[in-house]
This record gives sequence, C-alpha cells and structure tokens, in this order.
Amino acid sequence: MITLSKKLKEDAARKSSGSNSKSPDLNNSTKRVSIRDRLLIKEVPEMTSSLPKTCKVHFPDVHKLHHSLLTISPEEGYWKDGKFIFELTLTEEYNIAPPKVRCKTKIWHPNISEEGQICLSLLREHSMDGTGWAPTRTLTDVVWGLNALFTDLLNFDDPLNIEAADHYLRDKRDFEVKVQRYVRNYAR
Amino acid sequence: MSTTKTSTMSMPQAAANPEVGSGTSTGTSPAGSGPGTATNAKPSDQRLFSLKKWNIVAMWSWDVECDTCAICRVQVMDACLRCQTENKQEECVVVWGDCNHSFHNCCMSLWVKQNNRCPLCQQEWMVQRIGK
Ligand SMILES: [Zn+2]
Ligand SMILES: [Zn+2]
Ligand SMILES: [Zn+2]
Repeated sequence: MITLSKKLKEDAARKSSGSNSKSPDLNNSTKRVSIRDRLLIKEVPEMTSSLPKTCKVHFPDVHKLHHSLLTISPEEGYWKDGKFIFELTLTEEYNIAPPKVRCKTKIWHPNISEEGQICLSLLREHSMDGTGWAPTRTLTDVVWGLNALFTDLLNFDDPLNIEAADHYLRDKRDFEVKVQRYVRNYAR
Repeated sequence: MSTTKTSTMSMPQAAANPEVGSGTSTGTSPAGSGPGTATNAKPSDQRLFSLKKWNIVAMWSWDVECDTCAICRVQVMDACLRCQTENKQEECVVVWGDCNHSFHNCCMSLWVKQNNRCPLCQQEWMVQRIGK
C-alpha cells in the first residue's frame, strides 16, 4: 500500500509539474489549475496513445487541452472514404459533466443530425440506466464511442435524424447513394 | 501479495513501458510472501516471472479500483483533487455507499447532484458511512 500511494503521488507530481512548465498560464498566474485540466493531463496522453486507427486528434491550441478536434475516417461501411470532424469541448465542470461534442462535417446519418448534434448514450448527462455519462469515463471512451457510431453503435432503431433512418429502412441502396453524395460534397 | 499489487497499479500508469511494472515488483519480491512462492522458484528467470504475473493482475484490479476514487482518480485515503488544489486537505473525508464503493465525499456530493447513482455499479446511491 505504501509503495502504491507513493508511486501515485510521484506520478501525479511529475505529471502536473511537467505540464505546468510547458503551459504557463500567462494571463492568470494567480489562478490555480482547474480540476478539469488536472484530469486532462492524464487523460489526453492516454487517449492519444490508444486511438482507433481510423481516428486523429488535433488540439488547435496546445494550452487548451479541453478543446480538441477529432477526425474520423471510416475504413468500411456506408461512410467509407469520408473524413468527419468532431469538435470536443470540455467545460470546467468536466468530469462531472460530459464533454460537449458536435459533428462539424455535414453528414447523412441516423444518429447525427445535419446540424451536427450527436446521439450517443455515453454523452448523455442525465441517464437512468448505466449507459449515460459517468465520471468513471474518460476521453478515450468518448473517442471510441464516436468512432463506433460508424460501426457497432450505428443504430437505426432509435434515430436522431428520423428522416435518415426512414430512408435506410425504405431503400438501403438509395440511402447509400445519398450518404456517398454527402461524403463527396462535404467530407473530403 | 503486496508485490502483485504494485505491479497491478504500475501497469496502467506505465502502459507505454511495461518493463517498469515488472521491474518494480521483481525488486520488491524478496520481501514478498506466501501465495507467490511457486513463481519464485526461478528468481533468475525474469521473463518467466513476469509472464506469470499477468494472470494475477486481473484479480487485483478490482481491489485497486476501490482504493482509488473513480471520480478524481486520487487514492481515497489522500485528499481529493479539488481539496488538494484548494489546500483543504484536512477537511476531505471518504464516503462509503451501501454498495460498498467508496469515493471522496467532495467528489461524490458533486456527482449525486447530477445522478443519484454509484458511478461504478449504477445502484441507487445510499450513504453507508462518512469518515476517514
Ligand atoms: Zn475523489
Ligand atoms: Zn475533497
Ligand atoms: Zn457502487
């Protein structure tokens, strides 16, 4: 037990001091590092080192780990050959509150609206079953969850874009044609 | 047993460098104890030694989960991330639920405002006791 807690403390100290030296808070030198930022010091490296091979993450401002752009390029399925950009924003309330995610690329998808809203259970703030957000989840789970919207979690039964889901049920071929037209027009 | 525990925690911490985990536990093993005796048969063969431990890791991860607050990921016996930041280490206490999961009281009281369920087992959250 002693070794264990000592190691954790050392890790935490090393990680937080390491990041402080890299990202000094120039404007608010008196302001303490937020809980969110301290969690992200651990979560971001964990997430970037275990990305699905279809995903890339970009931080527009390296001093703002709470704002990132995730690019998903599905290798198979209806959205193959598209590049879909998701914007992840983590408020100060993270990890009590889930990340806010929007799809910046226009897409024809039953679980993503054309305006970029996303229906993914783990991003749901208040859920009565075990599938919603919980502070035990991390950025890694979010990235894998979003990636799975193009594979395992693709769901036509409980759609956000009802029109897209109906389209699929009515005429799968035509659905596929429209998806690929969107890919060509918006997701290249 | 303490040696296995060390290697368990080292694994997620040092995921990129598994050598660190096995190195640490091999170093502490002479002080180690009973149940691992069989694996100590050939202490010179470190490869064989660490391979055996991969089985044990799974058994112990559950225990570690209980010792670490799943919300702020700091040991429950230490002050939570928030209290460490605000220098209120003394006030930070532990809360146990009826489900036997434990968290920092600070962390859990923030979470239950949003969802009155244990984030680990999803049972409705009922405080069993609060203390150190
Ligand atoms: Zn905590
Ligand atoms: Zn606290
Ligand atoms: Zn529980």
